[in-house]
This record gives sequence, C-alpha cells and structure tokens, in this order.
Amino acid sequence: MDLLEPTRRAFALLLAGDPRLLEAIWLSLWVSVAAIALVAAPSVALGFLLAKKRFPGQRAAVVLVQALLSFPTVVIGLILYLLLSRRGPFGSFDLLFTPTAIMIGYMAIAFPILVVFTISAVQGADPRVYETARALGAARLRASLTTLWEVRFGILAAVVNGFGRAVSEVGCAIMVGGNIEGLTRNIPTAIALETTKGEFAQGIALGLVLMVVALGVNVLLALLQGTGGLR
Amino acid sequence: MSAPLLELHGLRKSFGERILLDIDRLAIERGGAYVLVGANGCGKTTLMRIIAGLEPAQRGRMRFGAEEFGVAQYPEPLRHRIVYVHQHPYLFRTSLRHNLEYGLKCRALAPDERARRVEEALEWAGLRDRTATPPARLSGGEKQRAALARVRALAPELMLLDEPTSNLDREGRAQTLALLAQLRDGRRTVIVACHDQEVINLVGYARLRLEDGGIALQSG
Repeated sequence: MDLLEPTRRAFALLLAGDPRLLEAIWLSLWVSVAAIALVAAPSVALGFLLAKKRFPGQRAAVVLVQALLSFPTVVIGLILYLLLSRRGPFGSFDLLFTPTAIMIGYMAIAFPILVVFTISAVQGADPRVYETARALGAARLRASLTTLWEVRFGILAAVVNGFGRAVSEVGCAIMVGGNIEGLTRNIPTAIALETTKGEFAQGIALGLVLMVVALGVNVLLALLQGTGGLR
Repeated sequence: MSAPLLELHGLRKSFGERILLDIDRLAIERGGAYVLVGANGCGKTTLMRIIAGLEPAQRGRMRFGAEEFGVAQYPEPLRHRIVYVHQHPYLFRTSLRHNLEYGLKCRALAPDERARRVEEALEWAGLRDRTATPPARLSGGEKQRAALARVRALAPELMLLDEPTSNLDREGRAQTLALLAQLRDGRRTVIVACHDQEVINLVGYARLRLEDGGIALQSG
C-alpha cells in the first residue's frame, strides 16, 4: 500500500481545516477534559483514603480498583449501554448516543487509573509529611491536603494518564456514542470508521492529531516535574 | 511556686508484652528547659510524641495548663500550643518562607503578623540569605536550623525537640547548639531528647532520665 499519498492528503486536510475533522477533534478534547475534570477530585480523595486509612475490607477495595484497570473498555461500554438504553434503569434520561454518555464512559475508564496512581503516590510519600503538618498544628483535612500537595507530581501524572486513556479510547465511545457524525464522532471512533471505509487520509490526519495531543500533555507534565521537583 | 505547665499521671505505653513507658508522674515547669536522656530505644521519642498527640498510649492522664484529659482523647486545640520537631525534620517542597509560615497559617494569624514572625525567625536562625534556595538543597545543619526557626516562629508554650544535633557535622552542631542555648530564655518551655553530651551539658537545662519505663528528674 502506498502510504505517502494518504499522508500527503492527511496534511492537506489538516491544513485546510476540514470541518468534519475539526468536529471530531473538538468533541474528543472537550469530552475528555470534562470527564477528567469531573472524576479527578473524587478519585484522588478515594485514592488518598485507601492509601492512608485502615478499615475492614480496605485491601479488598484496593484489589478491586486495581482489577478495574485491566477491565476491557468495551465491556464498560456494554454495561453503560445496558444502563442507559431505553429499557435500562437510566433510560428515561435519554443519554444514549450523546456526548454525555461518552463522558460518563470516560469517567468510568479514568477512575481506576486516577485512584491507583494516587494510592501509589501517597504511599510513596515521606511518612513525615502528614506528621509534620499535624505537629505544626494542621487539622486532619489540612494535613491531608498538604500530603497531596507534596506528591502533586504523582497526582498530575495520574491526571495525565487518565486523560490519555480517555482521549484515545474507542470501544466504549462506539458502544455508548454510536459514532454519529457531527454529534458523537470523535478522533478514535472516526479513525476506526474511516479506515474500514478505506479513507486512510482522514484516519492518518486524526491519528497525527491524537499523537500530538498525547505528546503535548506528556511534555507539559515533564516540564512541570522538571521545574517543580526542585522547589 | 506556680502550677506546672504539663503534668502526666499514670502513663502506660506498651508494644505487645513489652512495657515501654510506665510513668507515675511527670511535671514540667512553665519556662523550664529540660534534656531528656536515656539509652537507645528507652522511649524518649515515644514519650515526646505522646505529649504532642502524635501517638496514642494505652492509659494515662495529662494536664496542660488548665486542660486535663485522658491521653486517648487528645484535644485538637493543644496542637497549637505544643509542637514536636522530628529527629530528621521534614521541610515541605515549597519555599523556605512558606515552610516557616505553614504553622502560622494553621493558627489563622494575620498576613502582617505572619510575615513579621517569619522574618524574625529567619534572622534568628541565620537563614535570611538562604530563602531563595529550595529546602531540599539546604545542608543538614541548615535544615535543622530551619526546623528550629519554624517552631520558634510559632512561639508554642512547649517545644519538643528530638535529637536536634544528631547526624550533623561539626559546624552544624555548633550552630544548632547555639540556637538551643538561646531557646532557654525562661519564657519558653523546652524539652530536648538527646544523647549528645554537649546538649546534656547546656547551661540551664535540667536533666530528665528515662530508664526502665520510669522517669526521674536528675540534678547536675
């Protein structure tokens, strides 16, 4: 197969600002950002509790969240589909095949990543952090927030990884989004569709955008870690 | 004679079968300076952490000023009056000024007052020219002085300092000893746990010996 010609056309599409392309890119970005923005705080809080608090069933809860990491996203999509379909318990909300349904799916996918990364970051923190904060007079909540701030680069890595997983996810987005042009078609689902149609130029162009986005957020993380680690 | 600042009664701390602390009574006078001595593992750190509310004990009652309570029900407001400094002090990964300001923010002091106390403490510890250096890059001696400045800025009623001269080079020890000598001013109450003979011999510091779980005030 000649790769040069579709690649050349892919760049042409990008430079021309093809509206179908831009729609998919815009949808991917805002849905992923919104999903992470909504799920980050509760996931980080849960990760902190699972890392710091001892309670019956804590170990089982950690194992369960870790198991969710390797849960196939298409199965998450299937479960959401059943929940959101007209006959499902949340059918009355009419969310199936909407960007909101994709966003809920992304939140479910990013949740275990954020929780597990947070557990790892908090458990890796110097145990003197929390104690020093308490010894200096901080209340429990303030000492907990101080601990999270001390491991902020680990938490940031969790957020970046969660975003990366969401923005590149395809199985769940097709199941609950339906890949409807102009409404729920995003970058990964468009790549899958265009490739099956033999429209490689569109697929390559969207793939390039996805790689630039992934590279961009990771470079940003590296820059922040590089300057902040010394402070 | 005024009532002691701190009194402990019937304190018991054990780890499994081993009884680490079994103290009938301990009284710390207001404005007093004490060195807490004893063999390694005799419970010096544990005793200070219990007094600071950082570690529970099986039983015992504590009176601090007008407050009296069981050690299992440590009152949260007491954390603003008693401050413990770890043997290897931890400095937050922010600026040195922010480290000194942290406890003052916990006490909701006004920004002007916080700034005044931070600058005064930096001056006292000889760290004014080190404020641009990230705390992680300070030397061991500078970190220890920063930790002492951080607790001094808070002006707590009781300071508990755990082995402040351990793991310091000669210069760091000398600077820390000079600060410890200044802390004993008759207004602050200070307890310093240590093995360091130079600290034990500091002028004006009374000696508390912890042995076989019990504690006794020694003269000389």
